[in-house]
Amino acid sequence: MKRQIMLIAGLQFMMACGLAGATNAQQQPEASNMRLVGMNDLQARSAYQPTIHHQGDRWIAYIGHHGGTDEIPSPVNPMTGKAEPNGTSIVDVTDPVHPKYLRHIPGQEGKYEGGGAQMVRVCDGKSLPKADSAAVYMLRTFGSEAHEIWNVADPANPVLITRLGGLKDTHKSWWECDTGIAFLVSGAADWRTRRMTQVYDLGDPAHPVKIRDFGLPGQEPGATGAVPTDLHGPISTGVKGNRVYFGYGTNKGGILQIVDREKLLKGLAAPTPDNLRYPEIARLAMSSWNGAHTTFPMLQMPIAEFAKDKEGGKRDIVMLVDEAILNECAEPRQMVWFADVSIESRPMMISSWTVPEASGSFCQRGGRFGAHSSNESMDPVFYEKMAFIAFFNAGVRALDIRDPYHPREVGYFIPAVTAATDKRCVVVDGKDRCKTAIQTNNVETDARGYIYIVDRANTGLHILELTASARAVAGLP
Amino acid sequence: MLGRVAVCVAALAGLLTAASDSAPDWQRIAWPFTRDAWPEGRAWRSDVIEVYVRPKIGFCNCTTGVADDEEVDRVSDVDLIDERFTPLQPGREIRIADLAGRSRLYQLKMPNGSLRAAEAIALSRKCDLVVALLSGDATDQTRHGAHEFLASDAVMTWVHDVLQGR
Repeated sequence: MKRQIMLIAGLQFMMACGLAGATNAQQQPEASNMRLVGMNDLQARSAYQPTIHHQGDRWIAYIGHHGGTDEIPSPVNPMTGKAEPNGTSIVDVTDPVHPKYLRHIPGQEGKYEGGGAQMVRVCDGKSLPKADSAAVYMLRTFGSEAHEIWNVADPANPVLITRLGGLKDTHKSWWECDTGIAFLVSGAADWRTRRMTQVYDLGDPAHPVKIRDFGLPGQEPGATGAVPTDLHGPISTGVKGNRVYFGYGTNKGGILQIVDREKLLKGLAAPTPDNLRYPEIARLAMSSWNGAHTTFPMLQMPIAEFAKDKEGGKRDIVMLVDEAILNECAEPRQMVWFADVSIESRPMMISSWTVPEASGSFCQRGGRFGAHSSNESMDPVFYEKMAFIAFFNAGVRALDIRDPYHPREVGYFIPAVTAATDKRCVVVDGKDRCKTAIQTNNVETDARGYIYIVDRANTGLHILELTASARAVAGLP
Repeated sequence: MLGRVAVCVAALAGLLTAASDSAPDWQRIAWPFTRDAWPEGRAWRSDVIEVYVRPKIGFCNCTTGVADDEEVDRVSDVDLIDERFTPLQPGREIRIADLAGRSRLYQLKMPNGSLRAAEAIALSRKCDLVVALLSGDATDQTRHGAHEFLASDAVMTWVHDVLQGR
């Protein structure tokens, strides 16, 4: 008995010292001006994009997942008792204190980025021009091979409506819920890039209409020479704004491409270099050391400092977020950039922001440290006032962006690891050295002011709210 | 006396370094390209061909490896010499030491306007990529010799050190 106690004590000591298996796990949440409201473990599936949809009198979170891990390629869904490849989690977050897991829709078999169903967008049938007004449509990727549209009017019992397959990759698409126009990040088989844009009219989700393929000249079929960097994702400002902001690159060679939406939709569809150049208004090329994961437009922002200036008191701003991809700082810092695109032909980078590494010794914590993505909701509760940045092992960071020339942090939240949190490894002297760390991958907000963060390392969904002075920035009581 | 010994030891060490770093007929040269997103690689020269090699950590599709010719176009360093490179023929699968991938021949326009053939090789290990560019005499015999050099300890020891975080 004494020997057993000694053994247990020894193991506990080893774990405390970080000597057993994965090391340095962060056991307590860290927070400033943000508070945990509720959480769900998402069946310990690696999470990518959350979309929060106000559906009747309910609030539903649709969350995309990466593929499984080497150890658990297909986690068991406790609701069915079956092993299911990671796909889409549907969670009722009407009561954010007690989120209720409704349904898991399996995705493509495969591990990490090689499977799952990472991306999700949701539109009401009543807002789409030619759809069933009683339906609610969820657009999602199916791993790398397809886009799918499901009717989720009953979110616990989704029904597959449409599938657009035959692709070699997919990623973070955009769907305009008023026009039905979708900019689908796809890998068309004959293009020279894994990710380009397929523009579809999904106004009637049951009958998709292809409009055209689009990308950077050099990516099209039959081109020669250097291949411009892959697309990561677009964000459209719709008919009114008439612009689509495309972000290319992940952690290298980023490009912000500003495109005239109408010319894109109505220009000649054949993928010739001239036709691909026709709708482009301007590009902002970033350094080879930074990519453009998210390109989030905030147009006509009033800048207090410029209020008395005869011109330029309102600025068109695009927030660019890079994606860190390597563990333990094995790459240049990936962070947040603000571009002033008021003079569209001369977009200019005006500021940047990163988490100070020394504030948490983040390069030593394990996993990725750096930016990945921002919230993409344009609901007035936070739009053009605050931005929330998923920063991997530094959790989510809340920025006051009312003066985008001088963004400043007003809060943060780093969840505690759980038993489900997966390890992250680097190779040192030929051997894996693993640590367990939070990997906040994506963030979204809802019109009630809740902030939803999801974890790439299987820790699940955390629902947060602002506290203290951070609430004042957004004008929240 | 001590000074002479030190000089001899230093010279011997230099010879050993040179011997371990360069196989016969291959001379290590400086990396000739301007800085880009990736750390500098290593370059070697023989009488008739130059070889440029560099690992690109985390740049490969972890599940499919180097899947097709378009991927070789996209990930190799052939654009460092000529951004408008033109493929001469479909690529082929290739194995260099324990790394597998694809190889493709291109025609490049050199800064002086002359045309030159070059072979780009893209190899993968898990999520990491190793690219090599062979520029110069593009005969099968010369390229075969360059492939043997790539597979030699002079190159592979360094490549594996980088891939294994040493």
